[in-house]
Amino acid sequence: MKRVALLLAVLAAVYFSGSGYLVNLAVVTALFALPALGLSLLMGYTGQISLGHAAFVGLGAYASAILAKSLGLNPWLALAVAVVATTAIAWGIGWLVFRLRGHHLAMATLAFGIIVHVATVEMKGLTGGQDGLSAIPALRVFGVELGTDLAVLPLAWLACIGAILLAENLVRSPAGLTMRAVAESEAVAASFGIAPDALKRRIMAISGCYAALGGAIYAHYLGYISPGPFDVGFSIRLLLMVALGGFAGIWSVLFGVVFVVVTSELLKPLGRFDVVVYGILLVVVMIYCPRGLLDGLRLAARALGRRLAGARGGAPG
Amino acid sequence: MTELAQYVASGLVVGAIYGLIAIGFTAVYNVTGIVNFAQGDLAMLGALGAIGLVAAGTPLAVAVVLAALVVGLLGVVIERIAIRPAGPDVLRGIIITIGVGVSLQGIAVLVWGTDAQPLPAFSGEKPIALAGVTVPPQALWVVGTAAALMAGLYLFFARTYLGKAFRACAINAFAASLVGIPTAAMRALSFFVSGLVGAIAGIIIAPIALMQYDSGIFLGIKGFVACIIGGFGNPIGAALGGLALGLLEALATGYLSSGYKNAIAFVVLLAFLFARPGGILGELEELRR
Repeated sequence: MKRVALLLAVLAAVYFSGSGYLVNLAVVTALFALPALGLSLLMGYTGQISLGHAAFVGLGAYASAILAKSLGLNPWLALAVAVVATTAIAWGIGWLVFRLRGHHLAMATLAFGIIVHVATVEMKGLTGGQDGLSAIPALRVFGVELGTDLAVLPLAWLACIGAILLAENLVRSPAGLTMRAVAESEAVAASFGIAPDALKRRIMAISGCYAALGGAIYAHYLGYISPGPFDVGFSIRLLLMVALGGFAGIWSVLFGVVFVVVTSELLKPLGRFDVVVYGILLVVVMIYCPRGLLDGLRLAARALGRRLAGARGGAPG
Repeated sequence: MTELAQYVASGLVVGAIYGLIAIGFTAVYNVTGIVNFAQGDLAMLGALGAIGLVAAGTPLAVAVVLAALVVGLLGVVIERIAIRPAGPDVLRGIIITIGVGVSLQGIAVLVWGTDAQPLPAFSGEKPIALAGVTVPPQALWVVGTAAALMAGLYLFFARTYLGKAFRACAINAFAASLVGIPTAAMRALSFFVSGLVGAIAGIIIAPIALMQYDSGIFLGIKGFVACIIGGFGNPIGAALGGLALGLLEALATGYLSSGYKNAIAFVVLLAFLFARPGGILGELEELRR
């Protein structure tokens, strides 16, 4: 709870800072944090890899946009329907892919991500193809359009904090223990009477729900979506955020998200070359800090401190 | 009928490429237990490397050999600095090789930009008519090179001392080390072979299909699909799987729709993963793990 209060204080400071740039970064962080948290539940806590998570974000965004724009549904209703539908799709995909593990699971989820991306490009009648969909109606609260950074910030972070609290509750609950048990060893988990596949499907559904919520808010906030942002590159960036956060750890994953958002701002001058930094970061983090960047830095600092202490202790003798 | 023959011909050409990339996957997987998600990017880098060398005035043949060797050595470097320190964990292996692939793409953007690059065809552009089918001469280069390379690899693994040591390491690395086979060197060799074969695949297809920084993802996934069709870890299955996938894709593109060409491979992948995860030639042991 202390952390949530601290987060709220930071957000309030950003909100009232008057800096449009900071507010924009905060909104982007929240919208990335939602799918990243979902991915963390799946990868970090349940031990299942997904390389196609951008697809759920894309499905949420497109479903909500199409429902609101083409069917003229109230944007809130469209958002709710889109999130529920994507959750169901995620559950169904889980039913398919969790027959596989390891490399095969990774490739199957990657293939799923690419299929959805190809479909958004090719189904021109529905999605507008490469041109995307524009003029998506914004969400409204008491007649106020949530179309600007400042207006959407409270909603995005409300959703995000809700997601954080729910995820925290989940991982602390008995269900959270069963998730970790499945991640450690499915055979052992099954011998305790846990049904690993059913559990994985449920977590996949929650994970897809988080991603779809982020995507749907994104669509109504920008008013324009195209297939580009929901490609494999985005799935890999989500992977990087979760890896930087050490996979398991709600707050450390949030740190990973902030880190990637800030880094990508710093890398803007590099253009498309920025992916080199992401790639190298991914490799370095996986080799040297498998429990996340924060943990890696902590260990490095401790080792450095010990060495300094050792040098001081050794000097007089 | 000629339509069908035309599709079959183009399917075999593309299939030969998928087969080569699949062999690259197999070489690394058998020795290290790692699926190299950067495999396709090595092919892309080989092609762009050759294109760059040709643009710099190197004769085509020299450029091809040089690019293939450099990418092979790059594979060794990748194994040494990124793969070996990470240990045998599957998840870490996947994520690290993805990181490597993404880095290679970024480097390709830095050097060659984001535009698609052409490589001059090895022997002219004049189409050849063969039994009612028209193919570009490069198609014969592709099939011929792929066949020669596969035969060469087969002889290398089956007949030479080094090849036998390599296979021993693939069967059981620990036992191989007990009889004095340097397993670390074999791991490096596996990455060299996969880099070399992948780069050659990328180079010979480059005159037909334009290459750009992100071409590697699709090549890599299709190579992986070929492995799945043939049974993972089986080099002969990988080659056959590549041909099968190429044919399937060409027929589906010809008779259905070209826009969904890339999705077809993934539908095949999913179908095989769910219905026949051991592939046609089968190796179910992997799945029992």
